[in-house]
Amino acid sequence: MLTLVLFNLTNGIILGLFYVLMALGVSLILNLSNVINFAHGNFLALGGYFAFSLAPYLGYWGAFIVAPILVGVIGVIVEQTMIKRVYPRPHVYSLLLTFGLAFIIQDMCRTIWGVNGLPLSIPNALNSPLSNQFFFLTGYRIFLVAVVIVAVAALFAFLGFTRVGTRIRAGTFDLDTVSALGINIGLLRALNFGLGIGLAGLAGVLAGGQIGLNPNMGDDLVLPSFIAIIIGGIGSLTGTLVGGLIIGIASAVTSIWWSAGSEVIIYIMMVIILVARPRGIMGEEGMMT
Amino acid sequence: MTLLEVHGVTKTFGSLVAVNNVDLTVAPGELRAIIGPNGAGKTTFFNLITGFFPPSSGQIMLDGKDITRATAVQRIGMGMARTFQITQIFPELTTRENIQIAAETAMGLRLRPWIGRAERAAVAERVDESLVASRLTEQANRLVGELSHGDQRSAEIAMALALKPRILLLDEPTAGMGEQETFQVAGLIRRLHKHTGYTIMLVEHDMRVVFNLADRIMVLTEGTLLAEGTPQEISENPAVQAAYLGTAA
Amino acid sequence: MSTTTAPGAMAAKPAAGGWLHLVVIWAVLISAPAWMGYIGGYDALASQVLIFGLAAMGLNLLLGFTGVMSFGHAAYFGLGAYGAGFVLRYWVHSTPLAILCGILLGTVAGVTFGALMMRRTGIYFAMLTIAFAQICYYIAYSWNSVTGGYDGLRGFSRAPLHLGSYVIDIRGNGTLFYYFVLFVFAICTGLMGLLLRSPLGRTMIALRENSQRARFLGIPVEQHVWIAFILSTFFTSVAGALYALLNNFADPTALYYVISGNIVIMAVLGGMLSFWGPLLGAAVFVVLENEISSMTVNWMSFIGVIFVAVVLFFPRGLLGFLRRRSA
Repeated sequence: MLTLVLFNLTNGIILGLFYVLMALGVSLILNLSNVINFAHGNFLALGGYFAFSLAPYLGYWGAFIVAPILVGVIGVIVEQTMIKRVYPRPHVYSLLLTFGLAFIIQDMCRTIWGVNGLPLSIPNALNSPLSNQFFFLTGYRIFLVAVVIVAVAALFAFLGFTRVGTRIRAGTFDLDTVSALGINIGLLRALNFGLGIGLAGLAGVLAGGQIGLNPNMGDDLVLPSFIAIIIGGIGSLTGTLVGGLIIGIASAVTSIWWSAGSEVIIYIMMVIILVARPRGIMGEEGMMT
Repeated sequence: MTLLEVHGVTKTFGSLVAVNNVDLTVAPGELRAIIGPNGAGKTTFFNLITGFFPPSSGQIMLDGKDITRATAVQRIGMGMARTFQITQIFPELTTRENIQIAAETAMGLRLRPWIGRAERAAVAERVDESLVASRLTEQANRLVGELSHGDQRSAEIAMALALKPRILLLDEPTAGMGEQETFQVAGLIRRLHKHTGYTIMLVEHDMRVVFNLADRIMVLTEGTLLAEGTPQEISENPAVQAAYLGTAA
Repeated sequence: MSTTTAPGAMAAKPAAGGWLHLVVIWAVLISAPAWMGYIGGYDALASQVLIFGLAAMGLNLLLGFTGVMSFGHAAYFGLGAYGAGFVLRYWVHSTPLAILCGILLGTVAGVTFGALMMRRTGIYFAMLTIAFAQICYYIAYSWNSVTGGYDGLRGFSRAPLHLGSYVIDIRGNGTLFYYFVLFVFAICTGLMGLLLRSPLGRTMIALRENSQRARFLGIPVEQHVWIAFILSTFFTSVAGALYALLNNFADPTALYYVISGNIVIMAVLGGMLSFWGPLLGAAVFVVLENEISSMTVNWMSFIGVIFVAVVLFFPRGLLGFLRRRSA
């Protein structure tokens, strides 16, 4: 029983970390660009597939570094060619745009890499379980946790201590003022969009090593990452971080007793939060409107 | 006899004291102007009275009833109507439709998915009254977004009139307008006050407008009340001259 | 400049258009079964156009006429379908009761979710609509014993209509069923047309035009957003109930967020500032989707391109675009 609980808890943490990576990216884009990115899961898949195709040339580690950056660059291109054109328009347009992009990217993945799943092979060193009893604690999972911790720490350090990061945070609260200070909002949004998409790419590379690649691999992560943001509180990246971990663990723990409930529990938690604390766990008062 | 009473109202935003302990009374039928240099807290004070946000402390009474904590919608139900510094209208509807929405809301019809013949006639009558009062009958069937600046402002005032308010609150009614349009809107305000007897309170930048129209003027500087009195008294007040008129000319 | 411009521009006019418009629209809809066959259509496709058209027009009460964004109308569409299915599968063999229960289920959800969301605005509101739709999807998906889970609710069929002693058998006859759908569609669009000409409808439009102005005329904005949301979910759930009757099943895909997106694109594609725009959008989208999915395996890309192209090149929709050209 203890093993089972630990097994599920580990799964929950891993799942939560994927939610965190996804939700942080969605949240960055939502905060600064006011765009809900439906295609975020498809950028995740793109990250995994890029790593798959680059690995023969660059090796796993080369692909591990390059694939997320490449996805981020594609994110910037998409933002510059399409997304930025709908910023001044009502939200319905940005939603429809990313919705359409999700379809297109998914179909591209299908056409280029095939409908069937592909394995993303990981270095042998990462592959073995650390102990027989705790078979689920593989080297890869430890690696995954470490990578996410480093990535999240780097993101928060970037936002907290660099000039661009400070401007991104300031833009989240008051874009007009930031703009009035003569800061190039367009460039800031493009960078921020690329950063958010790059996080999805990283999640894709990591997920590929865990569950393999398929064109829909990101789909199941998109909506929960929205929920993570709502639960954590719109406008707060720390909230998103907490929200992602909470729903990941809650859904894994729930699945111990009620396997079908792992998704339902996320939404039940959202409703409870909405009723009890509408601005989310760490949301700003002004952001709830 | 007072219609609007404000006692010691203060509003702070963080450490900034935007309005500091201001008193005001407005009598029925009076036209009261609030003036002051930029950043004096005029608009904040105005927003406190209309319920845009609640005051940090102090009390606001309308007709003897405490409305300090009332929502904007409740205050309008009790007889307030306001316009905005930047004209707020329904641009893609006609002038008539704009006023009609105000009239139907004031007549308690806003939730009704149908409307009877008698009610329809009553609404039309009220809309026509507002159109006539604001001299917009000619423009009734045009999109209000396509009207001139001055006519748009008149239309916004006409919407307020359709609420049959007990007090009309106008936030810089001639802001951003040319000579001709300022003349048009000031003329409308004068007619409403002199001929129809509306109680009006306005915030204004344009000194000619204020000194020509107002019965009484209050001067705000840095969130506090500097002086209050008739236009004559205000123009002769040395403190006002020093703090405001001297620098604003 | 002329002061005798017709009251209200087309873009703003809630009315269902002039008499000529109406005659053409209803002539096309009534005669559809007669000519559908010649252009490769069939009765079920025509019924589908009406059904999604109704769903999109229902959404558009909120999106186009109140100016509030919902990206989760699949919830009310799907619940309408399940509500109808439950009646036929578990209770009585009656088409009218099935539709009523479909409406009831969808609208009760609209009332409840709307109450939880009405104080939020903008992108946050949109996000919550998505989340609530997803709740319904997962419930339908997981509650196997009642909903049939992944396979959906099956094993029911629409019942003949009894008018006194006269029986209209819409069971096997696609054309008769089309006319039944058209009948319900006509009632619903008639109600919507009346609604938009009423004070309540004008209040909704006021919110779209300028919600701050509306509030300072004494309109409680949140309350009216809620009411508009409920009305919108009502009509969309009627469409959902008809959808279950058309297919003789209800499955979770009717609740999936892809349907939400489709309903929104139909409204925008046709022109969300016009009354009939969403119907046109539904016709174009349903027919294109039907054609494309039988022509190529890359249909997803085509659908995606439709979304992107509408957003970037035809944001005012087909009716908005035509009107602009002719203006």
